[in-house]
Amino acid sequence: MPKTIAVIGGGTGGTIVANNLAHRLHDQLVKGEVEIVVIDPSALHIYQPAYLLIPFGIMHRNEAVRPERSLLDEKVKFRQESINRIDLSNRTVYSDSTKITYDYLVVATGAKPDYSQVPGLEKAGYDFYTLDNAYRLREALGRFKGGKLVTAVAGIPFKCPTAPIEFAFLVDSYFTRLGIRDKVDVQYVYPLPRPFTIPNVAEDVQKMMEKRKIEVNLLFNVESIDPEKKEMKSIEGETIKYDLAVLTPPHTGAEVVKNSGIADKGGWIPTDRYTLNIKGYDDAYAIGDATDLPVSKAGSAADFEAAVVATNIWDDLNGFAPSLRYDGKVMCFIITGIGEATMLIFDYDHPPRPPPATFACYWYKLVYNRMYWTVTAKGLLPGFGV
Amino acid sequence: MSEQEKVKVIDARGSFCPGPLMELIRAIKESSVGDIIEVLSSDTGSQRDIPKWAEKAGHEFLGVIHEEGYDRIRVKKKR
Repeated sequence: MPKTIAVIGGGTGGTIVANNLAHRLHDQLVKGEVEIVVIDPSALHIYQPAYLLIPFGIMHRNEAVRPERSLLDEKVKFRQESINRIDLSNRTVYSDSTKITYDYLVVATGAKPDYSQVPGLEKAGYDFYTLDNAYRLREALGRFKGGKLVTAVAGIPFKCPTAPIEFAFLVDSYFTRLGIRDKVDVQYVYPLPRPFTIPNVAEDVQKMMEKRKIEVNLLFNVESIDPEKKEMKSIEGETIKYDLAVLTPPHTGAEVVKNSGIADKGGWIPTDRYTLNIKGYDDAYAIGDATDLPVSKAGSAADFEAAVVATNIWDDLNGFAPSLRYDGKVMCFIITGIGEATMLIFDYDHPPRPPPATFACYWYKLVYNRMYWTVTAKGLLPGFGV
Repeated sequence: MSEQEKVKVIDARGSFCPGPLMELIRAIKESSVGDIIEVLSSDTGSQRDIPKWAEKAGHEFLGVIHEEGYDRIRVKKKR
């Protein structure tokens, strides 16, 4: 019987960990000593950073979607089905039609918007957290000829912590380019006392927003939204009126981890911050947005984590002690307008110190959007050298 | 504190910014006017963020008690 590595979730983390392992385990896979199985209900893999760029026409659907099978190493098995229960104690995962008993498990089930947490949220406006919604937003921005555009974070945590900031900057550029920026009031609404979680980055962001005449409204925790009156109310007792609302929905974890009793109350998997083991289980790991780790819910974190997990599974399979620990590394771009960007690189112990925004960094981001498919997702540059 | 005042303890130790603040907000929503929420937080940012939030939201910040490795931060729901 081959040793089985089961990967639940074919998003960024799951795909990278499977491909990374397939490279390392080539000979053992060919001999049938090991099998790698990726299980996901969707046959399509979406490059989610495209969601932010589609509304501005910077990326398009055909650049954002690929068949998952086409990304996976040919030696990796792909099963298109939903896992509805994970039994960590008995090393087994179940779908409606079958069960898989594993030797190693990687849970990479991601995060999803949870519109139900804020009354009125789903009908209130627009967001860029699904492919269809990104296109709806593109149409809405195209129709918008002036008025008050409010972009609000309606709950924490959410995928890609920099995205709301980037959206505000892109809105500024977009309407400037169209020659109607003076007709658009842009307001950025955020639940914390600063416009970003990390204080030194928040300072830079605040200055940039002031310079671009983006009004910043802090400590506004959206309580409810009235789509008819076009107003949102906060827990703090304030009301904001809008003509166009673009909201970042709060997120939650996947149903399968909640239904299996392995999630905390937010739906996140308790995960060791260094080994990435699901707490209490040395043969099961969680990576990417699914974890409760104090790092960004972003593909970059999943990429770094995937390299750690792939290395340590390989180590264990071959009789070695684990040789890598995750240090909390995240590297992400911040687009600060159409044609300029900077970059955040940080870990558990070192906060980011972003350099000044440049066109070169923006260009690199555009290149990276294409490189994702051929390098990152293929597991060819694991964790940028972790 | 009178004996009638209820103190609800939220253990947010191990949670990082903005986790403890979000836990407090959730607890305030579920509490009654007059209740006291005590947040246990090991994130030093909480003693900076929570008083600012309490002031903006119209609740009373009662203070911080420093313990070994964490803080006890108290807020009274006022409205």
